[in-house]
Amino acid sequence: MAELLEIKNLTKNFHGLKAVSDVSFTVEKGSITGMIGSNGAGKTTVFNMISGVLTPTSGSIIYQGKDITGTKACKYTGMGIARTFQIMKPLRNMTVLDNVVSGAIFGRKQLNAVQAREYAAEILEFTGLYDKKDLYPKDMGTPYKKRLEVARALATDPELLLLDEVMAGLNPTETDEAVELFQKINEQGTTILLIEHIMRAVASLCQKVVVMHHGEKITEGTPEQVMNDPYVIEIYLGKEED
Amino acid sequence: MRKKFGIRQILLLVLILICLIVPTFVKTPYMLGIFVTTFYIGCGTLAWSVLGSLTGEISLGHAGFMGLGAYIGALLMNNKHITPWVGMLVAFVVVGLLAACLLAPCFVLSGPYFTLVTIAFAEAFRNLFTNWDYAGKGQGILVPLKEQGMYSMRWISKVPYYYIALIMLIVFYVILRKIDRSKLGYALKTIREDEETANAVGINPFKYKFIATFISAGLIAVVGVFYANYIGYINPDIMKQSQALNYVMPAIIGGIGSITGPLLGAIILTPLSEFLSATLSHIAGGLNLVVYAVIVIAVILFRPTGIMGWFDHSKFKKKMNDRFDAIDAKLFGKRG
Ligand SMILES: Nc1ncnc2c1ncn2[C@@H]1O[C@H](COP(=O)(O)OP(=O)(O)OP(=O)(O)O)[C@@H](O)[C@H]1O
Ligand SMILES: [Mg+2]
Repeated sequence: MAELLEIKNLTKNFHGLKAVSDVSFTVEKGSITGMIGSNGAGKTTVFNMISGVLTPTSGSIIYQGKDITGTKACKYTGMGIARTFQIMKPLRNMTVLDNVVSGAIFGRKQLNAVQAREYAAEILEFTGLYDKKDLYPKDMGTPYKKRLEVARALATDPELLLLDEVMAGLNPTETDEAVELFQKINEQGTTILLIEHIMRAVASLCQKVVVMHHGEKITEGTPEQVMNDPYVIEIYLGKEED
Repeated sequence: MRKKFGIRQILLLVLILICLIVPTFVKTPYMLGIFVTTFYIGCGTLAWSVLGSLTGEISLGHAGFMGLGAYIGALLMNNKHITPWVGMLVAFVVVGLLAACLLAPCFVLSGPYFTLVTIAFAEAFRNLFTNWDYAGKGQGILVPLKEQGMYSMRWISKVPYYYIALIMLIVFYVILRKIDRSKLGYALKTIREDEETANAVGINPFKYKFIATFISAGLIAVVGVFYANYIGYINPDIMKQSQALNYVMPAIIGGIGSITGPLLGAIILTPLSEFLSATLSHIAGGLNLVVYAVIVIAVILFRPTGIMGWFDHSKFKKKMNDRFDAIDAKLFGKRG
């Protein structure tokens, strides 16, 4: 499989704090890659650099063979990279449908407003939100709001979808539904890179997992390899003990 | 989607028809004047809403942009004998561009900081015109009534102004509805809700704020040209920040966040303030303003999302829609 995304020696300092240091990994085209690690490990910071929200202190991001490091945040959906936010950012005074229309209209498909409304309706159908299309985000529960984040990103027609803890706060049944949705999205050809704490979901979704700790990548491998890694066990068990 | 002809469209047509024949019933210049004021304040409110409602950037400098438009129209007519109709076009482009370029460096400022900058610019313009010989300094300029008619947009009667203002209001409303449902509208609303999300879906906030400022300031400059000819006299005071509130208040009371809200606000507030000043100001000077302020505060306290904000989420709207749908079904048979 070819590499869709290659992260090379990525580093980010915040006023002396090394949030991410010298992280390198690749995301294969068509795969689902996971990123795990304790709180404050620097996962979201890596996402922010991949999506142009933050400029790396050093290192580079290669996407489809091109160096895209430092590209402005609003250019990414045009290149086929879409993301969700760990802290949900619904467009509060817009209906669920309009939330997704926004994604559809400015994404890769170059739709006009009318086409975008139709496409958004399709996306809502696909993500199981269609019957909620006229509601406002605040009128839905957390699982649906998380879905809406995914739907809006998906509406931009991404090649690479970055999901930041979209399963956090879901109960086991909802998690299973979410896993199913991401599998469906992946089957349609979208490559996924996701940050997740729920190991069960990571294990059933990801071909490859990158583990981060204190800003560094400590290991990567299949979910099984990673979960049997003594260092990873130490970190995770250590975390549970305190 | 409801695009077909139905009871809603009929009601709208009836409303427009009533507006069209008002001057045949309302003869006193005073009453007609209230209509004209309501219409052009409505236009100004709609223009303001492109930034204020759609983009969520609160400008208190729009009186400055309107004043610029008024001066452009009046100076072109007085000194170059160029018709105000062309003046409107010139004002739209010049003031729109000027405002967008001046405010562009401030787009990164959020909330109150942006608002402060708009006040500063309007104040700067006011000072500039107060000291500018060519524009009549502090005394301002007259738009003389020596020639009446379409070319000069000057009449003794208020009836022509009534129709111009009404048409202008309809045109502004249609433009805003179009923007609201267009790609531009989605960009502006997404920026209003969350700039980071806007970036994440591929919207360049700078570009769209520039366009929004251009349209908003340009449109209110057009209102300014109308105002100069309607009143026949302008001075730098029309650029005062307090004048900007004429356009901001209706939007807030009517409901920022929709297009109909600001329009409704203007239709309610302008006659109300006229009525209050006619009935109360001779009892005690300023009493009308106190009552006006109390009403505004009450609405903001109890309906912070404005009249339309409340209406959009109310059962009343649903009931009304159901009623209308029922009438549609009866009148036109079952459809789609
Ligand atoms: N904009 C910022 N300015 C300063 N420090 C930051 C900023 N963003 C993140 N940090 C710091 O960088 C470190 C890594 O944060 P990050 O959000 O990337 O962690 P994370 O792995 O996503 O954690 P979590 O699992 O809690 O979401 C933390 O110590 C955080 O406080
Ligand atoms: Mg995080």
